[in-house]
Amino acid sequence: MDFTLSDEQTQMQESVRDYLESEGGIELARRQMDGEDVVGEVWDGLAEMDYPALSVPLEYGGLGDDLLYLSLLFEEAGRVALPGPLPETLGFTVPLLAELGTDDQKEEFLPAIADGDLRASVALYDDATESLPEAIRMEAEPTDDGYRLDGTKTLVPYAESVDRVVVPARTRQDTGYGGITLFFVDPAVAETERLDTLDKTRPLYELTFDAVEISGARLGPVDGGGDALKRAIDRLNVSMCAMLVGGADEAVDRSVEYGKQREQFDKPIGQFQAVKHRIADMWLDAEAARSLTYYAAWAIANDEDDARQAVSRATWYCTERCGELFEDDIFNHGATGYTWDHDGHIFLKQAKTWANLLGSPTEHRRRIADIRL
Amino acid sequence: MVIEGKHLSKITADVSTVAKPRMNFDYTDEQEAFRREIREWYEENLPDGWIEGDRDLPDDEDEREQFLREWQRKLHEGGWAAIHWPEEYGGRDASLMQQLIYQQEKARVNPPPERSEIGVDLVGPAIEGFGTEEQKERYLPKILSGEELWCIGYSEPDVGSDLASLQCKATDEGDHFRINGQKIWTTHAHKADWCYMFTRTDDSGPKHHGITALIVDMDQEGVTNERIRQITDEREFNQVYFDDATTPKENVLNEVDEGWEVAMRQLSFERISLSQSLDLERRFDELVEFCKNETRGGTPLVEDPHVREKLAEFDTRIQAAKLTYFRNVSKQMNGDLGAEASFGKLYDSEIAADLHRFRVNLGGPKAALWGDDSPNGAAKDSLANISIRIGGGTSDIQRNIIGERVLGLPKGDQE
Repeated sequence: MDFTLSDEQTQMQESVRDYLESEGGIELARRQMDGEDVVGEVWDGLAEMDYPALSVPLEYGGLGDDLLYLSLLFEEAGRVALPGPLPETLGFTVPLLAELGTDDQKEEFLPAIADGDLRASVALYDDATESLPEAIRMEAEPTDDGYRLDGTKTLVPYAESVDRVVVPARTRQDTGYGGITLFFVDPAVAETERLDTLDKTRPLYELTFDAVEISGARLGPVDGGGDALKRAIDRLNVSMCAMLVGGADEAVDRSVEYGKQREQFDKPIGQFQAVKHRIADMWLDAEAARSLTYYAAWAIANDEDDARQAVSRATWYCTERCGELFEDDIFNHGATGYTWDHDGHIFLKQAKTWANLLGSPTEHRRRIADIRL
Repeated sequence: MVIEGKHLSKITADVSTVAKPRMNFDYTDEQEAFRREIREWYEENLPDGWIEGDRDLPDDEDEREQFLREWQRKLHEGGWAAIHWPEEYGGRDASLMQQLIYQQEKARVNPPPERSEIGVDLVGPAIEGFGTEEQKERYLPKILSGEELWCIGYSEPDVGSDLASLQCKATDEGDHFRINGQKIWTTHAHKADWCYMFTRTDDSGPKHHGITALIVDMDQEGVTNERIRQITDEREFNQVYFDDATTPKENVLNEVDEGWEVAMRQLSFERISLSQSLDLERRFDELVEFCKNETRGGTPLVEDPHVREKLAEFDTRIQAAKLTYFRNVSKQMNGDLGAEASFGKLYDSEIAADLHRFRVNLGGPKAALWGDDSPNGAAKDSLANISIRIGGGTSDIQRNIIGERVLGLPKGDQE
């Protein structure tokens, strides 16, 4: 038993951190938030560092590392709330392609992702008021040489900054994850409309497919993509958890720094137990979130029996508890923390968004109960 | 049951690092063999029915003492009384990994309390770290065998978290010290043979100086005690009065006036920190069983959506506690553990507080009853956990430790 990172992993993490800091750190998120599109710039830089190759299998020009390794990259990305479809491309799409893709598809897409030439996202929701998988409703009708997609997907991250989108659709009348076929589609075939989002660093879009005929885009078996999709969503959840863990660590550091600097009543406020104890509690939750996330990543990578429980544990804990932690960080900074110019809200809005995007905390707790009880 | 100072950091680094495999939760064949050895020993030696859940101790105090003494004797004979201690004092020189496996197996069967726990956990390490060879030879073996029982004179009526302000006085009278003063919350003083205590030998300088750690014979005229009834209706605590009690000079631990160092550093006997999380995991399993068997309005509790969600919440928090414990133990094995070891006491006791409150409420109206009629025994557990949050450095002190030693926040006026 050894639940610590290897030297290699630690070094990788440190080098990512240094790199992202040198690129401006959280300023990238702030520029995105204020209307610029920095995704291309961010991605070119990441590609130069070979980071998009991390989870791509060796035979397709990647580094062949697993979700745990990837989580360490996400943790550093989360520390600066890095804009861009990093979890969607590396955490979600790459393993899905590797699992379901034909040789041709893998040959076409995986090296391109590894080289930083292809970004991907995922279009899950047809109905933003429903939970997954019931929210997957779009029907795909077979045509002579492919399928016809008709309908509107919503809450699609970074749709205008990616080259492909994974689109699950129903090819057989079924519920749950049954009867689902996956398509790997160029979003240019759809009409995109940007939504007004809580988290402005991670734009969401509506994607309208107006009876669009596609061919050669099917990813995996007809009617049988649901299981792989379910597991891919688990990996996306862990990827987001890892980003939140990085953000939580950063928020604790920020509160500590402010607690040392900011003086009131002639004392640094971190000397007051009301503040000190709140920060100590933030640290407890950040540590717990990290343990749950590392374990979930490890359990998926090693195909452990309790992987699904581990994912749900990490997900509700990271989204709910880190969300509260980010609120506490804002609170520790007083009125300054409540301003747009202060970075605290960037993390908070991310956590609030993710808390419901891939299963609410309650849904994840129910899932744990259903497995365990 | 609260034990003074139980959760003070007992962390030492394992410097014997070897080439490190990647993250894994596997155990080697040798480690699994050690696990089997413990299991088999428990199966053969635990009282009849214990593993199946019949864990009641005798109600009568004398019978209970007899029972616990017998259990301690068995543990000692089996070599399980303190596996992390050196063989020369009755231990096994167990590695950190063996200690972890032992903790896991112990949590699984929830054996009777160890009568020598205070001696093993707190007194022994202090004697080993600061004592003379004579002191080690004289005291350590009898701690393990349970022949001699110890208590710790730490708190005083006006001295709780602020130990350095202690008042109980020891006066140098040539070949011995004369002790006058009072100690309180002293667990097991009424049956202890020895007291490991902190006294004031010099009050002229800064308050951290002039404290002396002494070993004092409890069986003398100058020592009297009064038992304190706790909210659980138990009487494990005592007030202890020292009225011209004496102890010879050779019973000083470390140098005279240098007791603060002893109190602050719990070193030696390279050992892993302990964690409530392993016990909580078993508690959770027991609670799930309870919820499957108990019905409300004809429906098992476990089918109530609110109960299910709460159980899932506890499941996650307990796993987070356990995994963080594993992460810290692993760091320790790699020789790389710092103040973050303070995570567990606070985090785990908060889970326990919530878990026991929840258990009480699951009892329904019957939760008003006590003793054998208390549903699931939850009422007493819920009360007892309050003492875990107070003893051995209160939760408030734990938050100070985290704030200051882990995160580097400025120290408060109080320190």
